[in-house]
Amino acid sequence: MTKDGGRIAPEIPAGLNRRDFLRRVAGASAVAAGACVLGLSLRDGTGPAALPEVKALPGLGDYALKDLASGSPRMAVVRGADRAAMFDLGVRALGGIEAFIKKGDRVLIKVNAAFASPAALGATTHPELLTAVASACVKAGASQVSVTDNPINNPESCFEITGLAGAARQTGARIVVPRAGLFTPATLPGARLIKDWPVLAGAFTGVTKLIALAPVKDHARAGASMLLKNMYGLLGGRRNVFHQDINGIISELALLTRPTLSILDGTVSMMSNGPTGGSLSDLKSTGTLVVTTDPVAGDAFGAGLLGRTLEDIPYIRLAQAAGAGTADFASLNPVYLDAGA
Amino acid sequence: MARSRASMSEKRVGYAVLGLLACLAVWLFAQQASFNPAVIVAMNHPKGAGRIVTGQQGAALSQTAGFLADLQGFPALSPVEGYTPESLSDKIDGKAELYLASNFQEMACRAFAAENAGNARVETFLYAMESPKDAFAVFSGQRRPGADQLPLAQNAYATENAIFLTKGRYYLEFVADHASPELRPALESLAQALLAALPEDTAQGAETDLFPAAGLRADSVRLAVSDALGMEGLENVYTAEYALAPGEASAFLAVRATPDEARAQADAYAHFLASNGFKELKPGEDLPASLAGARVLVLEDMLQVVMAKGRALAGVHDAANRKAALELAGQLAKSLEEKKP
Repeated sequence: MTKDGGRIAPEIPAGLNRRDFLRRVAGASAVAAGACVLGLSLRDGTGPAALPEVKALPGLGDYALKDLASGSPRMAVVRGADRAAMFDLGVRALGGIEAFIKKGDRVLIKVNAAFASPAALGATTHPELLTAVASACVKAGASQVSVTDNPINNPESCFEITGLAGAARQTGARIVVPRAGLFTPATLPGARLIKDWPVLAGAFTGVTKLIALAPVKDHARAGASMLLKNMYGLLGGRRNVFHQDINGIISELALLTRPTLSILDGTVSMMSNGPTGGSLSDLKSTGTLVVTTDPVAGDAFGAGLLGRTLEDIPYIRLAQAAGAGTADFASLNPVYLDAGA
Repeated sequence: MARSRASMSEKRVGYAVLGLLACLAVWLFAQQASFNPAVIVAMNHPKGAGRIVTGQQGAALSQTAGFLADLQGFPALSPVEGYTPESLSDKIDGKAELYLASNFQEMACRAFAAENAGNARVETFLYAMESPKDAFAVFSGQRRPGADQLPLAQNAYATENAIFLTKGRYYLEFVADHASPELRPALESLAQALLAALPEDTAQGAETDLFPAAGLRADSVRLAVSDALGMEGLENVYTAEYALAPGEASAFLAVRATPDEARAQADAYAHFLASNGFKELKPGEDLPASLAGARVLVLEDMLQVVMAKGRALAGVHDAANRKAALELAGQLAKSLEEKKP
């Protein structure tokens, strides 16, 4: 209000006349129109194509046999040096390969091909064992035998240099090399870590039986790498994030899939500097092969081959607690055999 | 015609609009920067995490790959692969933790043929660490007991099928796929070819020279970069094993920035032992004069000696018997008195 009570008129900048006003309005309108044109020109009417909806898998399947006779042995511990003879003796003690592989079965063999390292260094599944197991499956009437692992780095080199590709070719088995299309997200019910995480599901398509083959090794992070740790090779993505909770992830992997048969190769064990090793002096002849239906029990036995206890390898008890098997391998009525030198 | 000036209120509105736009831009950047990586992980399988770095471009990008480009007389069997702290575990899995804890920077590897040794395939690994001390830490952390010491470098040894050594801040491994009588000279030639290409060594080992020489097992000196002697937070501690007349014993040693720091860490280690059941002997209680100022702690038949001499934290942490422990502690105290770290 002015002193005399009159209203104050809005302050008009000096010199703003009708022409200026119209010029400003025109300029502002031009900028606004330009922005609209630019926006329209950048508009993508269709938008990005929708990704196909991928439903997370609850796991990779349970291939364990349910109709095993109670009281019959479910673990064979075979002493010796010849892997083929040891496997043959061990599987016969459990009822023969025919008890596990039927005519027409499509068998997937999960090996440890993690490194491009020759078999002699003991860092990967030995090709002699793969040959023996794949041949036995073929002989039992399997319609297809596949071999897989996800070593992340140069899978082809890993399979070739380890001798596993040669063993597969020799027996007619096919190698399933990991590629992007074979990975599907999985979410294990109740899992803390395996949630929407890519797993090698494509290798399991049509599979009716799963056999796991793993060497006995020291492991800098996990304490030991045997049957349960071997399943790490079914994970895709930047899986090294799980190294921060190595025991947690291995115990969850024990539930991701259940093998029909698990074979732990302690013919030669990597006692130190695992999981890669590198020197023959890291290895020790421990002359033992374990054939079992329970990978948790297999690992519990294998700990002893490394001179370790279950306290040294916490994931074994965690896997047992999760319901993946038993660390009390004596409860599987193991048979102890000798295949000779 | 004179242009009209914007009023204060117009300016305020203009600044407010510009501020709002700036906030919007910051928000958009923040949202994009925190995009959920799990989505990328789930949808993209990594295509060979290790870089193939053969060629001039690769050599220029890498501090180690260039050294493996050409080793005269040894045909390459594979391209050069390069790994960073993010991808190292793709190559060596759980063992990566050992390197990452010791300031790992980069690794290159390549396979070569040793034609004079039955065409052995020799996988050559060149790790660049931050300092010579870090290289020694990974070297000593994987040392194979009983291996043959080599004069190739200050720290070098050979096993049946491999050579391991350091040069400056580099740690090198030469791993052959089999052992043979011709292999050792071939591996040494390959190692010499690579050593000649690497930058000259810088002095290393000043700290380890503080260990007394009498009875020292030359291949037993190790460096623990973290959680040394089982104590969380105790870093960069050397240990060494001795064979003395009264029995075997192990010494530890670390040089700190100031005498105060060394003394504080000696107190902390003694407190750590006490909290684990060790009882401290009273000064003068059956102790030699050479150990004046040292703290002696016992638990049943175990005896530990802890001392701070100048900037050195030192002591004896393991011994076959009390006499061996006290003799080694006396030697260590004398060495530190003479060399005055």
